[in-house]
This record gives sequence, structure tokens and C-alpha cells, in this order.
Amino acid sequence: MVPASAILPQMADDVRVRPLTELDIEAVTRIDERITAHYRPEVWERRIAYYLRRDPDASQVAEVGGAVAGFMLGEVRGGEFGLEEPTGWIEFFGVDPDARGRDLGRRLCDALLVHFQQQGAQVARTMVAARDADIAGFLGAMGFAAAPLTALEKRL
Amino acid sequence: MSDQQRQLPRPYHEAVLHWQRHNFPEYPRLEQEWDTFFPKDDAFCLCAKLAQNTAAQIEVGDRRGQPKATAPQDLDPDAAQQLLGIIRAQASTEFGSIQQHHQTLARANDPQDQAWVLRVMAEELRHGYQMIHLLTSADWSPVTDTKPQDMVEEILSMQTGSHVLAAFNLEYDSFVDNIVFAALIDRVGKYQLSMQKVNAYKPMADSMPPMLREEAFHLATGVIPMRRWCEEAAKPDALITMATLQKVVCKWFGRGLEMFGDERGGETNVKLGLKDKTNRVAQDEYVLEVEHMLDDLNQRHVRARFPKLSRDEADALYARVKTSGEAIGGLAPAELLRAPDRAFFRRRGEPAFQQVGVDGKKIDDVETYIAHVRDHLPEAYLASLDVKHWSDLQRAVSAGTMTRKDAMKSMPRLARVGGACPCANSVRWVVDVDASADGGHGNGVSP
Repeated sequence: MVPASAILPQMADDVRVRPLTELDIEAVTRIDERITAHYRPEVWERRIAYYLRRDPDASQVAEVGGAVAGFMLGEVRGGEFGLEEPTGWIEFFGVDPDARGRDLGRRLCDALLVHFQQQGAQVARTMVAARDADIAGFLGAMGFAAAPLTALEKRL
Repeated sequence: MSDQQRQLPRPYHEAVLHWQRHNFPEYPRLEQEWDTFFPKDDAFCLCAKLAQNTAAQIEVGDRRGQPKATAPQDLDPDAAQQLLGIIRAQASTEFGSIQQHHQTLARANDPQDQAWVLRVMAEELRHGYQMIHLLTSADWSPVTDTKPQDMVEEILSMQTGSHVLAAFNLEYDSFVDNIVFAALIDRVGKYQLSMQKVNAYKPMADSMPPMLREEAFHLATGVIPMRRWCEEAAKPDALITMATLQKVVCKWFGRGLEMFGDERGGETNVKLGLKDKTNRVAQDEYVLEVEHMLDDLNQRHVRARFPKLSRDEADALYARVKTSGEAIGGLAPAELLRAPDRAFFRRRGEPAFQQVGVDGKKIDDVETYIAHVRDHLPEAYLASLDVKHWSDLQRAVSAGTMTRKDAMKSMPRLARVGGACPCANSVRWVVDVDASADGGHGNGVSP
């Protein structure tokens, strides 16, 4: 497979967002490796299998020139943390560093939010680490705001 | 939007459970293992599921724009006949795949792989149930003289060897078949279901989205273990090698292609509004998808074989070997997976019995060709009735003692005989539940 970065300059407008499939595992692993410098195929196999069996229409990938350059994984769940209402959870996302600035994140997010609404969710939620200012900025631009919830932890 | 769920009338529901007890005895284990392997997921439901808010108008063909039929009598008569055949064939594949998976399920060497296949089998049972729902929830008498109970009886009576499509008549040789089948044959199923989302018969169209959602996991059940095996195959002590996987791919690929129907056909289904693609168009897309899958599997293998190479270096090495067809840097093409030529080992469709090898080259001498096919198939499969039957046909076609047309129609077994339940030769699968409330088998099991 040709890396997305090799074709992006020529195909900047050739963007397509579609539901994730099992054949995207390798591409998602590649994007994660480009971002984190860690090769973790088994992690993405486990995660993608989970989302495919839960709701294969929810999680999305963005193709640029036919190659996957971004992904966003999530689903609608209810009853967690005392939040009974169906909630669209956005849990993992990534964009190939060479494809950033092309609005892929927004397109992916829009596709997930539309699907969440179709599944009966009236709220979408996610969490972001305080140190990830870029991600927080992206989510803010997507309309996410601080929720009246507090994330708590205890070191063990 | 959640799906509508429906149960079959009791005699049919009991008939399916009766069939399950004989053909899918592992089914009760699914409930026991559910929380271990599928935590958070809703419990499995043996029921028909119908999507809501689907298109109300016919989407393709001569009647495009007209309301979809909600009863068989509202369909174009030719469409109704064709659709009935599609539903029966679809039902045959669902029940047939369970019978095949059952043969080698216990031989899985990984509990998760086994549990995933077990779930696939249960969902295939639900898909078969869905097709029986289509046959029994409407009046098909304007289309066929066969009564609903006899249609169901025929479907439940089929065994490996007597199903409608050849892919469901092959026996599994090992658990590798369970996995490769899910990756290759369920992928054809995904195409068929996708094409039928536009079906002019609304209950059929409404049946497709829930089935497709489950099919996505079936494909992962094939691809993810294959990915792991391809990585393991890079080790010198690998138990499942790339050569083993390649031979199993060769066993199933042609049967998968044949499930699309003859490459020259399918226009009638589009014209009648039953599917949105012709056979060749869908088959072409399938082949591209299989090639993508094999590329991904090979890339995983190459990364494991050459751990000192970077991602880009490993990808480049694979691309060079694939393109050149030559060994480079210690990696040979024969050590990688590839789709055989689509005319290889074909018994149906345009290239049937044309003696084309895995690389697409014609092999004129029939004995040389049979030896070539033999060398590319799994050893255990070679001893099967299926391969023996094919080689006899291939020789007869080559000698001119049988036409290709007759050879294409020939099956190794034609055991589609009247449906006796194995537990009592005179008992049918579909019985009056008042006379035998549990079919004589104790309580039904429904995880």
C-alpha cells in the first residue's frame, strides 16, 4: 500500500469518509505508528474487533486519494458513570501527520456525530488529557465544552 | 434507530432449534462464554431483525421509483420467482456454513478464536432464521406450489454436499478452514447482502442492515487470526506457515468467485430491482478487496520477518518483491500470500474447466493441469470426494466425453432428499408443536 503521505499533495480534495472495516487495521496501525513511533498491531486488532462487533457503522476512516489517512473510533453506550442517557462516546482518533490541516478530523467527527444522533444519542462525550492542548483545541473547535463531570483517579 | 425483532411461529421456531441440536450442539456454550469474550454486548437473540426507516421506493431497475412490494404478490412475477430462489439459496448458505464450522470448531488452538467462530455460527443461525421468516411470514402461493413448511423442510434437510452453492459443500480439513472461510466466503456474503439492501421486496431489504452489521464481525473473525498467524509464520518454529495459508486460500478463492454467479450474468436481478450490481461488477470489487486483504497480511508478515526494517523500508521491500516477482533481500514471492488467478480451479462460470493455473497461464495437458492444481491445494483436501469428482470432470471435459455445460451442473453428491430428522427417520423437522412440544429433545436453548 502506498503511504497516504505520498499521494496527498496531488489528491488534496479527494477525501472520502466511510465506516471502518477490518481491512483498515493495517492502515490504522500505520497511522498510530507514525504518531507514536510504536508498532502495535495487536492493540488495534483488539480495538477494531471490539468496535466492529458493537456497531460497525459508527467508527469511521477518512481516505485521501483512496488511502486511509485518519480514523475515529466510538460508539453509543448508556448507563456508565451514572449517565443513563444514551451517549455517543468518541474514544480513539488519529490523523496521519502528513495529512493534518486538511479538515479530516472535522469530517470524521461530523460523521460520528450524525451516526450517534441516528442511534438516539443526544449528547456526545469524550475525555482529553490536560497536557494534550492540541487535541483539546481540536475538540473545542468541534463544539465540545467542559462537562459538569470530574475525571478522578487514584494511583495504585 | 433500533431494529424490529420478530419470532417465527412456534412450529418453525422449534424446527430451527431442533436442527440446532443436531447440527450445532455447541450453541449452549455461547451463553456460558458470552461475558468472557463479549462483555458489554447485548445478549444473542435468535430472532428475525428488521431495519426501520429504509427506502420505501424501488431503487434500481425497470420499476425504479415505484413503491417496494410488501407482499410477494405485489412483485413483478419474474422478480418474485427470482427472489424466492435467492432466499432459499441464502438460507442454504447460512445453515450450511454452521455445518461446516461445526466439523472443526473443537480443533481451534486459541480460545478467543474459537469463541469468535462460535458467535459467527450463532449469527449464521440467526441469518438462516431470518430467511425462514421471509419464507413463512408472507403468502408465497402466487409464486410457488410448495408450501412454506415444505420449503423450510427442504432447507433444514440439506447437508454438507447437498447445499445449493459449492462453497457450502466442501468439508473443512482443520480450523484454518474456519478462519479462511470467514475471511473469503463471508466476504462474498457481505457483497450479496450489500447488493440486496436495495431489494424491491421490502421485508428482504429490511433484513439486510442487521445481517450486514453482524457480517462485519464475521470478516474480522477471519482476518484478525490470519493477521496473527502471518506474524507467527515469520518464526522458524511456526505451526501454521504461509505455505499452509496459501493452499487454503487456493481452496476457497474460486468457490467464493462462483458464489457471485456466472460472470456474464446478473443483469436480470438489477432489472428486476433485486440487486444493484451485476455479477462481474461485484466480483471485480471482491477481487480487489481480497488483494487488499492479502497485501495487509503480507505486510504484517514482512514486518515480523525483518524487525530491523522501518515501516517504510518493510513496505518498500514487500512492494518490490510483489512487483518484480523475484526474491529480494531474503524475501521470495513464494513466501507470501497471493490470490490465484480467478480462472484457477473453477467449476462454474465463464472460466469453468478452462485449465488455467494459479498464475493465469493456460495448461493444455489435462494431467499436467491436475498435478498443478494438486500442488496448490491443501493435502487433506486432496483426499476429498470433491477433488476426486472435479478431477474426473476435468478429464472428461478435456477428452470431449462431457460438455462444459454438463460438467458445471454436476455435483459430487445429490443428497437433497426428503427431510428426515436423524433422531427418528419418520419425523420431519417442522412438526406440530402441540403433538411434540419440544421435538423430543428436552428444553430448547436460546442464549
